[in-house]
Amino acid sequence: MNFVQPLLLWGLLGVSIPIIIHLLNRRRFRTVKWGAMQFLLKATRESRGQKRLKHILILLMRALAIAALVFAVSRPRVGGFLGWGGGRVDTIILVLDRSASMERTEPGARQSKRESVLERVARAMDDIGEARLVLIDSATGSAHEVPSPEVLPGLSLTAPTDASADVPGMLAAALDYLRQAKPARSEIWIASDLQRHDWAPADSRWDAFRASLEELGLDTRLRVLALNDRPGNDFAIRVHSARRDNADLVLDLEITRENDEGPVEKPVTISHLGARSAGLVELAGQSLRFRKRLPLEGRQAGGHGWVSLPDLSNQRNNVAYYAYGPETAVYAYLVADPSTSPESLASIEKAVAPGAAKQELTTLDPQRAHLIDFDLASLVVWKAPIPSPGPVASQLLAFVRSGGVCVFLPPEADGAATFGGIGWDSVEQAEEGRYFIVKEWSRADGPLRDAADGTSLPVQRLRAILRRPINGDPAVLARWDDGTPFLARRIIDRGTILFLATLPDYAWSNLEQTALHLVVLQRAFEAGSRRLGAGFFGVAGEPSALPRGNEVLTRLDTYETAPAANPGYLAGAYRFGDRTVAVNRPPDEDSLEFLAPSDLQVVLEGTGYTLLEEAGASTDSFWREIWRTFLMAMLVFLIVEAVLCLQRRRPAPVSEPAAQPAT
Amino acid sequence: MKYEFLDSEVLTRLGALPVDSRLPMAGNVVGRHRSPHRGSSVEFAEYRKYVAGDDTRRLDWKAYARTDRHYIKEFEADTNLRAYFVVDCSGSMGYASAEHPTKLDYARRLAASLAYLLVNQGDAAGLSCCAGTLYLEMPPSRRPAQLQHFFDTLTETEARGETGLVAALHTIAEKIGQRGLVVILSDLFCDALSLGDALQHLRYRKHDIAVFHLLDRQEIAFDFNRPYRFIDLEDDTSLVAEPNLIKEEYDHAMREFLETVEADCNDVHADYYRVITDQDYEEVLREFLTARLPKKGRR
Repeated sequence: MNFVQPLLLWGLLGVSIPIIIHLLNRRRFRTVKWGAMQFLLKATRESRGQKRLKHILILLMRALAIAALVFAVSRPRVGGFLGWGGGRVDTIILVLDRSASMERTEPGARQSKRESVLERVARAMDDIGEARLVLIDSATGSAHEVPSPEVLPGLSLTAPTDASADVPGMLAAALDYLRQAKPARSEIWIASDLQRHDWAPADSRWDAFRASLEELGLDTRLRVLALNDRPGNDFAIRVHSARRDNADLVLDLEITRENDEGPVEKPVTISHLGARSAGLVELAGQSLRFRKRLPLEGRQAGGHGWVSLPDLSNQRNNVAYYAYGPETAVYAYLVADPSTSPESLASIEKAVAPGAAKQELTTLDPQRAHLIDFDLASLVVWKAPIPSPGPVASQLLAFVRSGGVCVFLPPEADGAATFGGIGWDSVEQAEEGRYFIVKEWSRADGPLRDAADGTSLPVQRLRAILRRPINGDPAVLARWDDGTPFLARRIIDRGTILFLATLPDYAWSNLEQTALHLVVLQRAFEAGSRRLGAGFFGVAGEPSALPRGNEVLTRLDTYETAPAANPGYLAGAYRFGDRTVAVNRPPDEDSLEFLAPSDLQVVLEGTGYTLLEEAGASTDSFWREIWRTFLMAMLVFLIVEAVLCLQRRRPAPVSEPAAQPAT
Repeated sequence: MKYEFLDSEVLTRLGALPVDSRLPMAGNVVGRHRSPHRGSSVEFAEYRKYVAGDDTRRLDWKAYARTDRHYIKEFEADTNLRAYFVVDCSGSMGYASAEHPTKLDYARRLAASLAYLLVNQGDAAGLSCCAGTLYLEMPPSRRPAQLQHFFDTLTETEARGETGLVAALHTIAEKIGQRGLVVILSDLFCDALSLGDALQHLRYRKHDIAVFHLLDRQEIAFDFNRPYRFIDLEDDTSLVAEPNLIKEEYDHAMREFLETVEADCNDVHADYYRVITDQDYEEVLREFLTARLPKKGRR
């Protein structure tokens, strides 16, 4: 505890006033000759003990009341964060979360969480006095000594970023610093909004941190300033992809909000080809994913732009940037076993590359699958036995992981190999006079989803005689009438694999007639082509957001005019050499998952940490002035003193003469 | 009047009220006081010159033989009421608070006024003063000269010494042969049980007892607002005390004392008057005298 007005503590000398008055009073007695001495002596004898104790208590209450008043006027403070002591500290390591979510500003507040905590830390450092301040920020992850707390809010190392934070990594850096510096008494202050992604509670590094902290053998305290108050409703916008589609640029956008408070219309502004346009988007639930077509006006070259929506909660997630490359063809590969019927092969080829939109298809037999240029490919259709583990399978897997789509069609021959845990069983034939019919399929998700206008595909018209059952544990997007999968999917990292259980071959089914395979393959092609577009996107804080080699970084967009103090950590449209890259915040920064105090207990178990939660705090200071407590205490002491001073009511001796003649 | 403790106007107003005895008095003269005896058993009081009309049977021939003059014998039995005033002159009787008279002053007024009334109606008044011991005994007399001596003695008394009231009462009880009215004027600051025994002794001797329990208001109220050094009026011992801290216990002790004393007096059928020194003594006397008037139909 410390005091805002410590000099007033000299008033504690006043505690002696009641005692001095009492002593003076006793000495300032008058003298009186008295006749009824026997009663006085008897009263004095009887009043010893309990009365003396009562008198001592009365004096004590008076002294305590004065002491409480003195403390109150001296404005005592206790650190809700720093505890009742604070004590002498040699080094304070501030682990600062500078991630995008820390730029959140609550309604009525004038500062973001990051700005607010920096200001508080600076004030707290002033109160503590002489202590070295070391900063470990989430962007650089390394320790930097701060010469003075005052400069903390203005440092570039404390400036906002659009990147994520790696809290266990920062704490590991803190321990490294402590091992080298070995301060006598140190504290680690973690300032974070406890976003789960940043803390990664399941990360094995937490075990190492706890063990290392204990082994360090230094007097180190851990304090967590949890900026977890979120009374507002934050809206965020994100660009999932930007791709050319004929003469247009198609943006895959998503708006999310923290709390679903009913339908709301949000204005969305798009900056495209140097021009801004705005439109209203109605958000009914907690998120809305939609597409925006922007005319490219015949431009062949690449470009960039941004989309934004107005929201005061967090400026960093109100904008998303996009970039796209020059018009290029998209490539697909068809690996078909030689026994594939020509009709089936033609049908598949026509479905993959119907001849429009610069789609190019190369058909290969399995033995030549190694010729696939996976860097250029958007889609691979594999109508052959699943490749056994080997170079091709590995390359295919890497292709899928990087965002590519691979569609597996039933091979002619059986095989035991699996891909992504999914494989083929033996071909089944429908009973005489009966067909395999698709009974149910996902209308909202996957290649068989309804059209944008709500029109559903004629899946129920499919009739199959032959099918090859899908084994494994995939996500089933469509089922035959017997419940077995017709269309299955597995998402592997950024890509997808699809298994379709029948062929567009009249010997198998009427898939050709329904053209369902066309829709499936085209949609798969489209999804896969985003992979190439992903090369124009970078994630703040990751290597994709930084120029490579000798590339020179230039900011292209005009959304923010402030100089980029932290290249690689701020979202924007950049040119890296001759590459155009739209750097956006990591998707996890829009996550609404935060650690609860109980989660923190598990993560920091055994560290003896102190937690100060922003949520529910009524002051904006680390310190809490507790003068009211002392005033209340004074009131209590005075009431007790008054009660002790109360004389018990007893009937006084009869003073009027009683004329009582004897009877 | 010559004596401060006598007020002629008060005496005049009270003079209409007789001082009556509640008990039969010893005496062979029919008078206002009832007598339980018939026949002679008198005490010689004094000689006086014969005047025409006196009963010749009361001529003292021996005195004539000695002096060739005719003298009449006066007997005590003619007074019927003998009042013995016991005035406590211990140190505590010298206490007075504010502008009030001391308890001894008050006792003087009561005793002198009553003695005057008694002698005026032909009865006798005697005085005993006690402090540590019974140091003054004046036998009852109805002679004006005796009354003068009574007043003079009262004037000279001082409140000094310890309380010896109980022993004095026992002595008086033993010494007084005939029944009389014993008027006790004291603050009764002695052992209450012993006082009860002394009163019982007097009652045993068939005396009519009246007790004027004199107290100062401050002795009852104990109304001090600061520490005081109390010095005992009787033995000069002192005690520093904070009255507000011990008031409760003091009140309890005083209340207990008053109740005990009153009970002692009631036990012996004594007239008990608790008198505060700021009261009008005339009212006290009037009440005393009025209470002793014979009730209708009873003599």
